[in-house]
Amino acid sequence: MSDSAVRAYAAEKRFGAATLERWLAQPAAARGALLELAVRLRLGENQFRDVLDDLLAIAARQGCVVESILSADHLRAVLARPLGRNEAVKALKHAMRRLRYPQLSAAEERLTALGKQLRLPGGVSLGLPEHLEGEHIALTLRARSATELRDQARAVAAALQEPAIDEMFALLEGDW
Amino acid sequence: MAGEFVPEAVWIERSERDTPVARAVRERFAGPVALFDGRAPVRPASVRDGKRVLVLQRHRGAFLRHCPAGTAGLVCCNYLVVNLASNCPMDCSYCFLQDYLADAPALTAYTNVADALAEVGAVLDAHPDRSFRIGTGELADSLALDPLTDLSRLLVPFFAARRNAVLELKTKSACVDGLLGLDPNGQVVVSWSVNAAAVVAGDEAGTATLAERLAAARRVRHAGYRVGFHFDPLVEFDGWEAGYAAAVEAVAETVDTAGIAWVSLGSLRLSPALAQAVRRREAAGHVLGAELVPSADGKARVWRGLRLQMYRFLVARLRAALGSEVPLYLCMEPPAVWQAVMGEVPADRALGLRLAAGAGW
Repeated sequence: MSDSAVRAYAAEKRFGAATLERWLAQPAAARGALLELAVRLRLGENQFRDVLDDLLAIAARQGCVVESILSADHLRAVLARPLGRNEAVKALKHAMRRLRYPQLSAAEERLTALGKQLRLPGGVSLGLPEHLEGEHIALTLRARSATELRDQARAVAAALQEPAIDEMFALLEGDW
Repeated sequence: MAGEFVPEAVWIERSERDTPVARAVRERFAGPVALFDGRAPVRPASVRDGKRVLVLQRHRGAFLRHCPAGTAGLVCCNYLVVNLASNCPMDCSYCFLQDYLADAPALTAYTNVADALAEVGAVLDAHPDRSFRIGTGELADSLALDPLTDLSRLLVPFFAARRNAVLELKTKSACVDGLLGLDPNGQVVVSWSVNAAAVVAGDEAGTATLAERLAAARRVRHAGYRVGFHFDPLVEFDGWEAGYAAAVEAVAETVDTAGIAWVSLGSLRLSPALAQAVRRREAAGHVLGAELVPSADGKARVWRGLRLQMYRFLVARLRAALGSEVPLYLCMEPPAVWQAVMGEVPADRALGLRLAAGAGW
């Protein structure tokens, strides 16, 4: 893959010099794989930069190279889905996040499952700290009347007898 | 091993050429030495570029300041730093100097050490009932330049004669020869940043190996110094448990626990600007791969649950290996993390006093 193709794409999308420099600093195989991805998803500069950051982080984590991540079956399957451009970018980011943050992703998925086990009533929502970087779990009750609020509170009190809530706090505290 | 640092050249501010530091460098450095007036004629393109040439000049301004780790919202150990050098010959992937010194990257040792010690002495004399912990390892490695500057020969006797201050010399080097003939009188702690062997090998270019650091720790302990260890930054990578367990065991085999003044733990933290600097490196080692997320102070850290798990693992291993008398503390963490890991949240002043007294908890 020639540098000129990379430069042409960057020029077409008006990439800044710093982003282009980082792209060109990658080994040839990675430059080509990134170009193929950028063309396939018509990535703008911010999207490209995020993808590059994630790929380099995954490569550092797994001790591999960027092109091998993009050619892995899992990501190829994501990219092969018949999705529109925005949905495809979103699916790629989601898939890469699982690779970039395997333990955090697993903890988030477990917390989501535990949250469902609570069977909270309608109008009650569960809030977790962003990136699980915090120790609080928030429950928000939205009601149109005092009666509705009392009913929700009773249902929440019952739900909180489930051991799921203990496991949720334990997960936030790194106890798993 | 990373040998002792030898710069490509040394530039000395003309008026400072007969100061003890400049004289020591002139005697010990066989390479080119030049004098300058005004601003040093060295214009490094980057912090890494700045490591090639050593500048000796006066420091214009205050030397002593509070450790910047004492950020609001984080438990602080009331540590003071005296900056006698700027930049470092080593090249750690995660080093905050890559960003912090971007506008002044020249490797510089300050020559007016007498002014620095006078400033420190005035503070110590003004507060005779307080106990101070003062370090020189914030903007530079405390000992990496010592084979050239012989700075320890000025610092150790000064602090040895003080009753209300402990000097901490913090290093990733094995440059302790200059310390061995000096009497610390219980007032000097030589401490090492230690890490899992994989992190030392992959992220700490130009430093001594873990074994070399610990061998140096053994030497200074035999020479009468207390020692400290900083597991900082803790880096999350595949195999971190085994890597850090081995490092703890190696530390425990190195010195008697009575000789350990303190052990700190600090999770890897990257400001957004530092993260950019790390990404620009040809090889970022294990640092970029860690599960880092933004935390309350704007720096990226390993997400809280995993961070707590790492801290608890290390604390349990350290307690088992060193006993409960060796003071352990966390660096740059909020009260909630202290509570979750250590089971208490000490007040800043109390934490500083405990460490100064060498008290375990």
